[in-house]
This record gives sequence, structure tokens and C-alpha cells, in this order.
Amino acid sequence: MDRLLDTVKGHQLSRRNVIFGAALGVIVPTLLAGCSTGGGGATTNAIGAPRTGTAAKGGILRIARPPASKAETLDPASSLSAYEYLGALYNRLVKLSTSGSLLPDLAASWQQTPDAMTWTFTLRSDVSWHDGKPFTSADVVYTMQHILDPATASPQAGVLSPFLTGSSISAPTATTVVFALSSPNAEFASLLAGYNCYIIPAGSAATIGASGIGTGPFSLTSFTAAGPGAVARNESYFGDKPMLDSIEFSSIADTQARVNALLAGQVDFIAQTNLDFASAKLVTASTTVTVSTIKNAQWYPVPMLNSSAEFSNPLVRQALAHAYNPTEVLQLSVQNYGTVAKNNPVPPTEAYYLDYGLDYDPDKSKSLLKQAGMDSFTSDIYTSTYDPVLTPLALALKGSMAPSNITLNVVNASADSYYTDVWMKKPLMATYWYTGRPIDQLLNQIFRSGSSYNETAYSNPTFDQTLDAARATVDDAKRKTLYQDAQKILIDDGGSLTPFFSDRLVGLSKKIVNYDEHGFEFDYLKIGFEAV
Amino acid sequence: MTAVTVSSRFTQNRASARRVVRSILSSKSATVGFGLVILQIILAIFAPVLTPYNPTTNDAMSALADPSGAHLLGADALGRDILTRTLYGGQYALTVSFAATVITVALGSLIAGIAAFRGGIVDEVITRVLDSILAIPAILSLLVIVTVFGSGQWVIVFAAVVVYTGGVTRVVRAAILDVLSKDFITAARARGEGMFSILLREVFPNVLDVILVEFAMRASWIVLLISSLSFLGFGANPPTPDWGLMVAENRNLMAIAPLSTVAPIVALATLIVGLNLAADGLAKSFGIDRMKEVLG
Amino acid sequence: MTLLIARRVALSVVTVLLATVLVFTAIQLLPGDAATQILGQNATPDAVATLRGQLGLDQPAIARFFSWLGGALHGDFGTSLVSHQSVGAEVGRALVNTSLLAVITIVVGITLALVLGMVAGLLRDKWPDVAISTIALVGMSVPEFVVATVLVLLFSITIPFFPAVVVAGQNATIAELLPSVTLPAVALIFVLSAYIIRMMRTSVIDVSDSEFVRTAVLKGNSLGRIVFKHILPSAMLPTLNVIAMNVAWLVGGVVVVESIFNYPGIGTLMIQSVQTRDLPVILLITVLSAVVFVVCNLLADLISIALNPRLRHSRSAR
Repeated sequence: MDRLLDTVKGHQLSRRNVIFGAALGVIVPTLLAGCSTGGGGATTNAIGAPRTGTAAKGGILRIARPPASKAETLDPASSLSAYEYLGALYNRLVKLSTSGSLLPDLAASWQQTPDAMTWTFTLRSDVSWHDGKPFTSADVVYTMQHILDPATASPQAGVLSPFLTGSSISAPTATTVVFALSSPNAEFASLLAGYNCYIIPAGSAATIGASGIGTGPFSLTSFTAAGPGAVARNESYFGDKPMLDSIEFSSIADTQARVNALLAGQVDFIAQTNLDFASAKLVTASTTVTVSTIKNAQWYPVPMLNSSAEFSNPLVRQALAHAYNPTEVLQLSVQNYGTVAKNNPVPPTEAYYLDYGLDYDPDKSKSLLKQAGMDSFTSDIYTSTYDPVLTPLALALKGSMAPSNITLNVVNASADSYYTDVWMKKPLMATYWYTGRPIDQLLNQIFRSGSSYNETAYSNPTFDQTLDAARATVDDAKRKTLYQDAQKILIDDGGSLTPFFSDRLVGLSKKIVNYDEHGFEFDYLKIGFEAV
Repeated sequence: MTAVTVSSRFTQNRASARRVVRSILSSKSATVGFGLVILQIILAIFAPVLTPYNPTTNDAMSALADPSGAHLLGADALGRDILTRTLYGGQYALTVSFAATVITVALGSLIAGIAAFRGGIVDEVITRVLDSILAIPAILSLLVIVTVFGSGQWVIVFAAVVVYTGGVTRVVRAAILDVLSKDFITAARARGEGMFSILLREVFPNVLDVILVEFAMRASWIVLLISSLSFLGFGANPPTPDWGLMVAENRNLMAIAPLSTVAPIVALATLIVGLNLAADGLAKSFGIDRMKEVLG
Repeated sequence: MTLLIARRVALSVVTVLLATVLVFTAIQLLPGDAATQILGQNATPDAVATLRGQLGLDQPAIARFFSWLGGALHGDFGTSLVSHQSVGAEVGRALVNTSLLAVITIVVGITLALVLGMVAGLLRDKWPDVAISTIALVGMSVPEFVVATVLVLLFSITIPFFPAVVVAGQNATIAELLPSVTLPAVALIFVLSAYIIRMMRTSVIDVSDSEFVRTAVLKGNSLGRIVFKHILPSAMLPTLNVIAMNVAWLVGGVVVVESIFNYPGIGTLMIQSVQTRDLPVILLITVLSAVVFVVCNLLADLISIALNPRLRHSRSAR
């Protein structure tokens, strides 16, 4: 026993040296080749835009995704939709380009009346469902009514129902659908590009969750909620045919396990979750997989709940908005993979973006607190392991705000109840959104008084009226000015604490070319394995 | 437990501290075990003197810095010095696990005393309830507790108490039952002394050896438990320099910055090895078969 | 003897029942219920109320417990609140997967641990003992998540020999799972064996020092005969309890390892079910783990009693 002990210390250390020595021997050299430095600062050499090239026809793409819930469904309208499948199986009337302009999909064209009250969509006539039945305007009417049906509890219902009812949608011909709005909305067509608005066959509400019958480039082979599934190329697709033969999905719950599956070559691509930045470094060190960035794909706001005692005073909210150094927060939270937002939640790539924000100014922050009658301010800030950026963000803000006499106590909440018990309930928390939603949806859904996703409980009649005025304005330039006015009102009022937009880091096999995504949508047509 | 060891324990009634210390020093493994624990305590107490850094202050310029003269073990993604966080981590691990172990062992012993002393239906009910808690997978109890009460060190203490009290009670109760059959207990009962008086004055001093071994043993398990909880995303709130939290935060850096996980793991493992050897040493010096005591 | 066994079995049933009551009560304390968890970010009061009605969560807790218990006694464990599948089938599939992992771990782990423990005990203080004891001490001191992570790093990524995760999901066949079982099993064996090795070593040392082994040596028995006829049976006895405890531990210990390897077993299902407050699933898992716990303890006790009649009296005091 005596000798045992002396060797315990020695052996334990040497065992570790052996293990890590072995691992490092393989990984570190490749890492050093890929990255300029390990000591501080971003290592952008190996991480960049997705690879483009000539894809070969054929191949099976294996995608790992988080399992969501066992209640997940292929019904696009549902809040529980398995969203990686949607773009493969279905089409919408219209879709959004990366710059936010509208492109035709199932609708070949559309017009609005000059008062922006009545919208007419002309549909393609050459489209059929995966089961062979022809696609008609009745399917569109049915889908929209399904979305608006309270029993569906679709998140998009909250966006559309203020000016649209199921009975005001009609189908005069097999290829025409008319929407009669109850109040003007010049941005209406863009709201039909939402990821809940994929079109399903008439009468399919009860079966679509499992059948997945759509018009899309792939048809369903199998689907298990929170489990594996597959789709295969739809040879009779109306548009350009996809390059891939099929796509296999697997569900992997643990983030690190997903990365391990990619590194071990068991999957070709990780969907949905952002690679955390440490994992990204690990992935770039590999010879078989790589990391691609999707610029400004997410934004990480820290909602200040206006209805709470802490943040009911706009002066306090403005004080917080001026209190942190966004450059430092961007560096610490996401290692500089992103863009400073200066508290404007509208991404800089958005056509209606206003280049304006509240800058870092600790003195101004202190004087704003003084005006509010405080020498210092203390609050809890909630975070969770739900997303890997949340906790570094909270810690970075805590450190950065300290010199402005603002004390944040970080509280780690359980990930499983984070969005039921913390979001919209605690005064201050870290969260994220995907960019890529139309401006009208963004501002109305997240900041309008009483709207369902209004996470700051922000309520400002002037802001709401400005949004209404924008919707009623058909003139594009004038409408743009109004949406920009709304942004300024929101920012000046301390309505948003948004430190940065973050690039999304996607891990994928080096064999894959032409990967592209925007908002909630993948481009499943062009993606393929590189031709040799 | 044979009759021989029991009677030998009673003849040495209330073993003197000096004898225990001498006995521990005579075994090299016990000495090293206690040495490791004491070393950890010293490092934790003097952490502020040993390092110029603050364990929770971010430093954007040092984020993911490699080991160097400035940061001997490198810095983590938020630029915090890993050696500093490891040293301060001892403060957290030692205080929380000490508090949790004291409460667990004290409560377990008290329940054991009551159960053994009262016997009959009281004993039966207590044993059944504690057994059924032991029958629930510990991880399920832990998940439920942290989901109900959130995170933070007192929740951890509570969780450890719920998970381990049953085991302590089992062992201590068996030891107390042996003591209760002795003449001096019968005499004390005859004198009309109350239950708590007899437990405190006659029973616990005679099972102190078992309780001390339990303490060292449970302490090592609780240290492991706390780190596992932190790893699962519960436990200490960031930016607490907790070893388990450090492992969880830096797990994905294991291949590129191994020291960020190796340092807290080595600290954790040495503490546990120390506690285990200390428990072994104590058990040997008391003449207790530790494995049987703990798991039987 | 029969009476003793009957009493122990009856008490075990009480223990299992009590465990389910405790878990049922504890789940009621959790914030939110299956309805709020399923809806998540979209849990508007109206939507939650509708879903609660559909799931029967608007009934009082006590009524729900007794209706569950009534079904359970007839072997009907209800339907999952989340997947709407039969709980028996869902837990059954996960149990088969976990059993595959557990059986391999137990058979290999215990055999290995007994052999190593005996070698260490017989060769006390020689180098094999030092090596084995050190490994056991490390196994006791390093959390299983560390062992598992290092294994993946080494044998799936650096040397891509074993799969890093299971991609096949809940309905994977045994053939699909087999290659993926190796690394999780090694991680579990490492932790599981540690205590058994140490116990076996101590027991072997104790028995070797005992009177009757010395007598056997003096009588000139062969080494093999002494080891297998005298030392092994006696040393096994105290080790049994440790084995029982460790097998029971495996039910919970498997959770972390399953999560790291995305292994579609009971542990993964348990975490998911707690997250979604899927009570019927949690209850069945509790029943199963409690049964494993009491059966392990019961078996260990009964075997001890059978092997060593002297224990009959002292054991019955419990």
C-alpha cells in the first residue's frame, strides 16, 4: 500500500501525459497549420464562407440534428415542426432572398390593390403533390385556414390574424388565390415566406404530421419524432432537380456528441445548432471536416423586461444600453465571429436597416442612472446551457458593465424550462433569434405591444402607430423611411439590448460543396458532394 | 461484525485523539491521504496570495491564451487564468462538499440513532422510506431537485443530503444496534435517561469511529457528485470557479487546450484520492472493514 | 428461512411502491407540466389549457396516481404524454438497448474485476498489485464523463476505429448497436470495476491471512487448489454486496455515458422524460430501477445467507 501511493501520483500524471500526448500528436499539428495563433484573437484562416464548386449528381447526405421533442411533427404550421425536413418536403407561395427581396415559389406572380388591402396570387399549374395529385388553389386556401385555426396554435397565426381571417381567403380559379385583408399591409406577401407557411395538401391537417406529403424537391421515406428519418429525391419536382439522391437525418441530443459524430465521419453536416466557438476550433483542426460561416445568421439580445420593477424606467434601460463595450463583448462571447449591433435588432444586411444605435459610453450610462435617481444598479441576469453562447454573453456583459456601476449576478437556469420559466418572466436574460425574418414580422412580432413573442413587454403607442403607417404605405421609399423611424424610436427608448449579430458556424464535411442557408431555410437543391 | 472487534472497540471506549493521530501517522497511505487533503486546504486558503489574477475577471486580450509565463496553464475562452480558477476552485469544492458532508453524516447518524433506539414501527418506517429513496436512481433525484430549486451551492448541499443520507443511516444504524445491546446502555435506560441523552452521551461516542470513516468516504463521493452535477449544467452558477463547471465549460477544448480540463480534473482526482486514502487509514486504525461498512 | 425470504420479498414490494409515490409527488413539484414543456416558447395560456385537457392533466393528482397504479397492476403503464405511444413499448425498447450495454458491462466488468482483484490480493505489494490498485484508485477518482470523453477523443476521432455516437436512434437493431457498444462499455467497466477490485483485493488478503488457509497451506495443498477451493469462495462473500451495489449504480451511472454517446437507452429516455415532464414514462423507469435495486440487494443477501449460515441471525435484524 505504501508503494502503491507513491506510484499513484507518478502514474496518474504519466497516464494523462500519454493520453493527451497521443491525442495532441495528431490534432495539434493540423491545428497549427490551420490557425495562425492560439493566443487570443480570432483564428479566421480556416473558417470562412461555405465551399462552392461543381457537385456530382447523387450521394446520400447524412445530417445530425438536435432531437427536439418527441411531440415534433412534419406539420409546417405547428410550433413543433421538424424544421430541417420542411424545405426538402414543401414549398411556399413565395420565398425570401438573402437580401430580403421576394422570389416566386409556388406562386408565379402576385399583385396588390393600391390600398394594399387585397392581394391576388397566381399559382403555377405544373405542380403535383408527392402522391401524384395536382396542386391547386384549394390547397393554398386550406393551408392558410389551417395556420389561422386556433386549434393549430401556429406561431404564424399571431402574425397574420390581426388583419386576416380564414373566411376572407378565396380561390376564384384553380390557379388563383385572393386574400382580402381587414387592414392595409404593403408587406403582406413577405409574411407568407415565414417557415410556418409551407403549403400542405387540402384536408391533410390530421395526417400531414406523419405523412409529410408536399410538393418539394424531396419526398419522405421515413420519419420518427426525435429520431432518425430520411427523404429521397422527387424525380417529378417542378423546379431544378436536387443533386443529392437522398438525405438521412439522425437525432443527437448532446452538442458535443454531434460534433464528435461529425469528426468521426458518422455524419456529413450538423444542422440547427451553432457550433460553439471552441468546438469550431476543434473542427477546423480536422482534415475531413470544416467550418463554414453564415454571416450574421443570429442575434443575441438580452431582453430587459419593461414590465419589471427593474426596467420600467427607460432611463435605466438606456443606461444599460450605453454601459458595455460591444467590441469586448463580441470578442469574449463569440471570438469576434459577428458584427457589433449597437442595440439595433435589425441586421445590417436587411434592406430597411437603419445605421443607428446607442454607443458604448460609461459616463453617459452613469449620468443616466443618476437621472433615474440611482448611484448603482444591480440585477440578476439569467442564462442556460440551452445555447453555448448564452453564458459567455452573460459573463462578458457582467464584466463589461462593472465599471459603469452596474452589477449583474449570473444565474444559470435549467435548460429544459428556460423558455417557459425564464423567457418573458425574468427581468434580464440572454437569448437568441435567427435573422432572416421579414422586417415587418421582426418589428411586429417581437416589439409590438401585446404581441406573442414580445420578450421585453415593450409597449409604445408611437412605435405601434409608426408600424401601422408603414404597413399602409405602398410607396417603397416612404415605407422604408417609416420602418427606419420605428427602429430609431425603439433604440432611443431603450427597447432593445442587442450587443451583436453572430455568425452561424456550421460544421460540415469537406466533401460537401454549395451549402447555403438563410434564416430557417436550407438550399437543398444545389448542395452536393464535390465532383472528383 | 464479529464479537471480537466489537468488544475490542468498547474496551478502548472513547478513543483518544492522540491515539488516532499516532495510528494514522504510522500508515504511510493514510499520511499521504491526509497530506493531500491538507495540501488542498492550504492551496485553497492561500489562493489569493499565490496568484495575481482574479478567478472571475474576464480579459478579452488573453482569451484562449496558450500556457506562458503570464498564464502558466493558459487562459480560457473568457481570458481567465486557468491556474487561478483551479486554485480558487478548491475553496468552493472544499466548503460546499464539507458543508454537504457534515449535514449528510450528522442527519444520517441522527436518523440512525432514532431508528435504532426506538425500534419497532418507527425503525421499520424509517428504514422503508430511506430504502425507497435509495431505490430511486440518484440521477433522477438530482434532476428533480435541481429543476425544482434551480442552481446554486445550497441546492447542491441539499441534493447531496437527499442522495446520501440513506446510505449513512444504513451503516450507522447497524453499528448502533451492536452498541445498544450493551450493559451500559441498559443501565442508562434503567436510570431513566432520555433517548437523546443516551444517544449523545453513550451511543455516538462509541460509534464515532464508524461515523468518521463514513465522513471521509462520503466526502469523496460528494466531491464527485458536485462535479458531475456541474458537468450536466447544474450546480455552481457561472462565473464560480468550480472544478466541475470548469470541466463542463472547457470540455470541448479538451483536444486543443487540454490543460483547461486537465487542471481541474487533476485537482478533483487528487482531492478524491486523498479522501479515499484518508478514509482507508482511519478505517484501518479503528479496525473497521471499510468496504463492508460503507456498502453492506 | 422461507418466512425470512417471504418477509424480505414483501418489504421489497413496499420499497418499490414507496419509491413510485415519492417520484410521483416530486414530479408534481416541478415547474410546469407536460403541456407547458411540449409547447415551450409557444405556451400561451389558451394553448396550455387545451393541451392539458387533451392529456388529462386537468384531473387531480391523486386521481391520476391511482388510475396509473390501477393500470400498472394490470401491466398497463399508460401512454406517453409526449409521443402518445404505449409507455411499456417505449421503455421496453430503451430497456433492451440499455440491457445490451449493461449485460456486456456487468459480465466483462465483474469477471475482470474479480480476476484483477484476486491477482492484486495474492501478489500483495508486488508490481501487478501496485498497477492494478492504482488503476482502481483512478477509476474511483475520475468521473465517468471524463473517461468517456477521453475514449471518444482517442478511439473515435484521433484513431477513427469505433463510432463516436449511435446514429440509428431508438429503433436500432442489436446488430446496428453492437459496434457502438464498445466505448460506452469500456467507460462503464472502468468505473464499475474500481470498487469491486478493491473489495476483492481486501477480501483475498483477509482470507489468505486466515487460519484455515494457513492450515491448507501447511497440509501441502497445491496453489491452484488453495486459491479456487479455499480463497475464492470465502473472498467472494463480502464482495457480493459491493457487486450488488454497483449493478444498482449502473442504472443511474449509465445516464451520463449514454448522453455522451447518444446511446438510445433508459438513461437518455429518463433525461428526456424529466425535461418534458412525461410522468408515465418516468414512473415506469422508476419502477424498473427500484426493482433492479431491491432484487440486487435481495439476491446478495440471500446468497450470503446461503453461503454463510452464521449470517442468518444478524441479517434478519434488518
